[in-house]
Amino acid sequence: MDERIILRNTDDPLNASIAGYMAHGGYKALEQAVGELTPRDIIDEIKSSGLRGRGGAGFPTGMKWQFASLDPKFPKYLVCNADEGEPGTFKDRPILEHNPHLLIEGMIISAYALQSTRGYIYLRGEYPHAKRVLERAIEEALASGYLGNDILSKHFRFNLTVHSGAGAYICGEETALLDSLEGRRGLPRLKPPFPVNSGLWGKPTIVNNVETFANIPYIVSQGAKAYASIGVKDCPGPKLFSVSGRVNKPGVYELPMGISLREIIYTHCGGIKGGGSLKGVIPGGISTPIIAPENIDCPMDFVHLPKYGSMLGSGAVMVFDDTVCIVRVYERAMKFFEHESCGKCTPCREGTAWMRAILGRIERGDASERDLETLQDVAENVTGKTFCPLGDGAAGVLLAAMKTYREEFEYHIKNKRCKVQ
Amino acid sequence: MIKITIDGIEVQTDREITILEAAKQVGIEIPTLCTFKNLSPSGSCRMCLVEIERLSRPQTACTVKITDGMVVRTNSEAIMRARKAVLEFLLINHPLDCPVCDKAGECILQDLSAKYGAAAGRFKEGKRTNPVSFEDPVIVRDMQRCILCTRCVRTCDDLQGAFAISVINRGSHSLIEPFSGGRFDCEYCGNCLSACPVGAITSKLHRHTYRPWYIERQVETICGHCGVGCTLTLQMRENTIIRVIPDFEKGLNSGMLCVMGRFGYDYTEHEERLRSPLIRKDGELVPVSWEEAVEFTAWRLKELVKKYGGGAVAGIASGRCTNEDNYMLQKLIRYVLGSNNIDSAARLFYRPAVSYLERMFGQGITANLIPGIANSDGVFVAGGDPTTINPVLGIAVRSVWKKGGKVFVVGKSGGLRSNIKHELNHAEGAGALVLTWILAKVYEKKNFISENSIIDKKLSALKVPDMDMLVRVGVSPEALQYTADELVRLKNPVVIIGPETVLYGNGSKNLFLLGALNYVLNGRLFVLMDEPNTQGCLDMGCSPGVLVGGRPVELETFGHKMENTAGMKTPEGTGLNLFEMINGANSGSIKAMFVMGENPVFNIPDKKKVESALQKLEFLAVSDIFLTETASLADVVFPASAWSEKDGTYTNLERRLQRLRKGTMSSRGRADWKILADICKALGMKESYTDVKSVWDEISRISSVHSGVRYESLIGRGGIWPYGGEPLRGIEGDFEVEGLEDMPELPGFAQSGRVILKEDKSLIHSSSLSRYSPALMGVASEPLLMINPVTAQSLGLSDNERVVITSDKGTAVAILRADRGMPEGVAALSNTFKDNGFRSIVGYTIDPTLKSLNITDRVVTIERAKQL
Ligand SMILES: Cc1cc2nc3c(=O)[nH]c(=O)nc-3n(C[C@H](O)[C@H](O)[C@H](O)COP(=O)(O)O)c2cc1C
Ligand code: SF4
Ligand code: SF4
Ligand code: SF4
Ligand code: SF4
Ligand code: FES
Repeated sequence: MDERIILRNTDDPLNASIAGYMAHGGYKALEQAVGELTPRDIIDEIKSSGLRGRGGAGFPTGMKWQFASLDPKFPKYLVCNADEGEPGTFKDRPILEHNPHLLIEGMIISAYALQSTRGYIYLRGEYPHAKRVLERAIEEALASGYLGNDILSKHFRFNLTVHSGAGAYICGEETALLDSLEGRRGLPRLKPPFPVNSGLWGKPTIVNNVETFANIPYIVSQGAKAYASIGVKDCPGPKLFSVSGRVNKPGVYELPMGISLREIIYTHCGGIKGGGSLKGVIPGGISTPIIAPENIDCPMDFVHLPKYGSMLGSGAVMVFDDTVCIVRVYERAMKFFEHESCGKCTPCREGTAWMRAILGRIERGDASERDLETLQDVAENVTGKTFCPLGDGAAGVLLAAMKTYREEFEYHIKNKRCKVQ
Repeated sequence: MIKITIDGIEVQTDREITILEAAKQVGIEIPTLCTFKNLSPSGSCRMCLVEIERLSRPQTACTVKITDGMVVRTNSEAIMRARKAVLEFLLINHPLDCPVCDKAGECILQDLSAKYGAAAGRFKEGKRTNPVSFEDPVIVRDMQRCILCTRCVRTCDDLQGAFAISVINRGSHSLIEPFSGGRFDCEYCGNCLSACPVGAITSKLHRHTYRPWYIERQVETICGHCGVGCTLTLQMRENTIIRVIPDFEKGLNSGMLCVMGRFGYDYTEHEERLRSPLIRKDGELVPVSWEEAVEFTAWRLKELVKKYGGGAVAGIASGRCTNEDNYMLQKLIRYVLGSNNIDSAARLFYRPAVSYLERMFGQGITANLIPGIANSDGVFVAGGDPTTINPVLGIAVRSVWKKGGKVFVVGKSGGLRSNIKHELNHAEGAGALVLTWILAKVYEKKNFISENSIIDKKLSALKVPDMDMLVRVGVSPEALQYTADELVRLKNPVVIIGPETVLYGNGSKNLFLLGALNYVLNGRLFVLMDEPNTQGCLDMGCSPGVLVGGRPVELETFGHKMENTAGMKTPEGTGLNLFEMINGANSGSIKAMFVMGENPVFNIPDKKKVESALQKLEFLAVSDIFLTETASLADVVFPASAWSEKDGTYTNLERRLQRLRKGTMSSRGRADWKILADICKALGMKESYTDVKSVWDEISRISSVHSGVRYESLIGRGGIWPYGGEPLRGIEGDFEVEGLEDMPELPGFAQSGRVILKEDKSLIHSSSLSRYSPALMGVASEPLLMINPVTAQSLGLSDNERVVITSDKGTAVAILRADRGMPEGVAALSNTFKDNGFRSIVGYTIDPTLKSLNITDRVVTIERAKQL
């Protein structure tokens, strides 16, 4: 018996089809929800489960649903954020490709709870296979009466469409995503109003991550209590970690919230590749500050990581050993941020390009002490002053790296070459 | 009550305002870049960051609303550093070419940099290069200077509703680009220009000739291109206009202008402006002195009146001239020469439409405020495109859509295409059919009980076409049903009536249907008005049967009033209208004519007929700013002063009285009222007028609707109807609807190979005046024939081909433009370009009920032009 919840049965190739999924008990939670529970019951259940969004910010899901449900405007829209653009993150992919019905079932239950009739899955453009899988799964669900205009003959209507993004990282940010869904240039919107009150086409809209939705069927069928007993208090449940970098067994792991970084690396991923020594770990995707080796006992969840100066983000663990040049890492990261900055706000638009240019010179051995000062200053001028978290994160992670690994930056400047090699 | 503290100063308000607004109330200045009047906050430049107690990060003052107890700091060291940082970020890639930038001196970036200072150049990475383009006729785009505040894009999208420009690329490669590439090819309103805080989008008209300190003088005046009457500012140096800008604080247009108002001012300095009075001697017009021209005119008029009587004289007034000009012309014709033969081009559409509606509902029924359109939840448009005829009114209609209201257009949707849900475009001639169906449905659904038995009776007499007929004229049942359903739901509707309701037949029926629809919906009526003062021209008594203030000639008492002040009597009996004057000239009953600021040869159909009629006159005097087709037939030509050279008043389509102010005096022309007053004087008039104000004073003494309106008081919002005087009450009584009980006929379609021609109104041009504007000609230099692409194809013609259009009345040459908005078998040509005007190649009859223009002879052939 598969102990996992989110990745349950994903080793079974038939699980992606509705027949396979149902053979493992799939869609029971939906039938139970629609048959026995009121929308209110479900929202209350999600609230008491303590589920937090898995897209990066860790916002309590039940609360979000309640806000949307209290808004008197209709229609209400349901959007699944499957943009998965954060570098290092590939944890939604196995759900999308191997457990599509779990996501769909989760979304239908949410739609029922929110009385939404229209849903969208905003899918990363570079996931064409997932698109095919999802579209087939939606058709199957339609044919089986789980989607459509009269779901389970209960006069409950919900239809679902997959929309592929065009490759912009910023379109993973929920309001930019909504702009993009509306057919416009994806740019973060001003908040408030929040999507729960004025989202897609100005209507109340719930945006949740793929993994978040994938938790719903379990909570509904096993109850909030059972769910809350997994993981840690204030941040319960299972969590997918996509581990990459210098470990022996990279991959996606489903583990309880609050597990330590050390356990992930050494117990589950087989330790550092080639037996080298650990230099640092990025715990939640490139936008989360790097963690020094001495802190790897930190529990991996939304509550504890901030105490170590970092964040859980998307749970994308990137492991660096002493063969890795930190300057290089952040030059590369800044290239990403520069390229993905939407250009809306001044500090991020201009600052990421500037920081990348200076980092490039440091990396190439073409920089002075003054440049390091300028870099620090520019990064400080960006952090906390941008329109959305992208720019803020770009500068923030650089500042953290410059603090912890300052001598590496200085080495580059003094010796005009890298310390590693 | 919300109480907050900003920099230790307490602010109290009872409204939920932003920190920025609250700070302004107590005189604390917070620098901004992306915030702009009338645009919703964007929060993107990050210039306005402030500290709020208990929040860890600085917040943007332009977006954050105040809450009770908030403590804000705008001047901490951290905030000063943040401001400096934003400026530094903006300057690292800026070309710093202020010495050659047209914006220098009024550039926010320049000002803020001086104030908050940017760090000394520590940017070593090499500036990026962005495109700079000069290809456009009126707009220069220099993306090197752009700070990406998106004020231009938001103006274009949210206010103008044109969606013509956008940010392209991403991150630091972002820049603003028109969707059409190098040229803007947009509505050219230039409102993005007023929004741009730096020199990134500027007007080409004053490229390198403008600096704020070059401006010697500026005046606030009213646009002279259309009947909206936008407030604008003329900025001048050495008697020429350097720039026209809107005024965000004044006027009904709240800072918006259209292409004509913003760029079309340069006709006033065209080299063909008339410079001296001319008299025809031995067949040639030769320059003479003012005295000679005035004396000669007075002498000729006196002689002809003596010989043939006052009834042999006629005057044509103008909607392009001021109220004072028009008043003086009717004074000359009526009270000095003794003839009621005075009319104007208002006769062609505007006057019959408005007076018909006033007959239905009373004086002032169309006097509604344009800014009020934006508060409506639905607008019904028929008979013309407001976005091209009265552009700033058109954008008010778009704003209804923007706010979620509904827009319905019967006929070609044109500039409102993106604002409607369904097309109600119909085959040529089927307008009444569509309107009847809609009215009948709305009447039925509303369960309307009328208080007006006359209208009620007529409504029940209507014969309603069945859906089949409507489908045959190209309207979908779905669209009709939707329109009727939605109209019934409107709480605050607006009905807009354009010229096509009258110009092509069925005039009284169309007006009745629209008037009744508005009545049943309890809406507000607007009638589109293409010239700036057509309404004023009517109010000044430039209409054969109506005196100053709108009183019918028959009213005796008024005659006495006039006699008392002017010492002259109102002639008896109704005079001749415009068409009767032309016929009279043709038949010999009219011997002399004074035409002021009008070009009947070009603007009345059947050019040959009008031309030959005017040629038969014994005496023709014309005052104008150019030697028009009409002026070149005259015996005397007076050079008039142009719009920018005049003081006086205009009355716009809302009946708002607004003051025109003299700016430049580049010509030697004189104000029309002055020319006319001199002629009157030479003919024995007792009054003398020192200035335009003294003319107005006389008007306000005589006209009951204008009584007591002081010239000086016409500032700010202008004089809004009713002016404090007394509007005339509705004329209770029946009115005629031609063919009321007839089933509207299915239009006869032109036989194959032939096309029905109608008049096009281009956004870029205001009738024929704008052909003297180099700027507007730069944007649209050639006559275009808009035609349905299928029809064009069936004629073997393709886009951009030069074609010859031939009717029974004449030929014109134009460039073919395929336009899917045109119904099949229909083409449109504007009445703008010399020798190729629409009206010169069609004929006309007179509508028996409205006495208005009914354009005929519209069946044309279109062929490829021979190679030159
Ligand atoms: C720059 C940026 C990129 C983001 N990308 C993603 C993404 O790819 N997938 C995702 O689920 N959330 C992403 N987010 C978070 C979303 O904005 C949003 O918080 C999330 O979809 C909410 O879902 P949840 O409550 O289920 O976590 C991103 C946020 C930012 C600021
Ligand atoms: S921080 Fe600003 S520029 Fe960067 S992605 Fe967000 S909104 Fe765009
Ligand atoms: S000129 Fe007017 S229509 Fe053209 S881009 Fe600017 S705002 Fe838009
Ligand atoms: S062109 Fe001007 S208004 Fe438009 S974004 Fe650039 S600086 Fe702002
Ligand atoms: S809308 Fe009319 S009045 Fe206003 S600027 Fe344009 S032409 Fe002038
Ligand atoms: S003015 Fe507030 S962010 Fe631009």
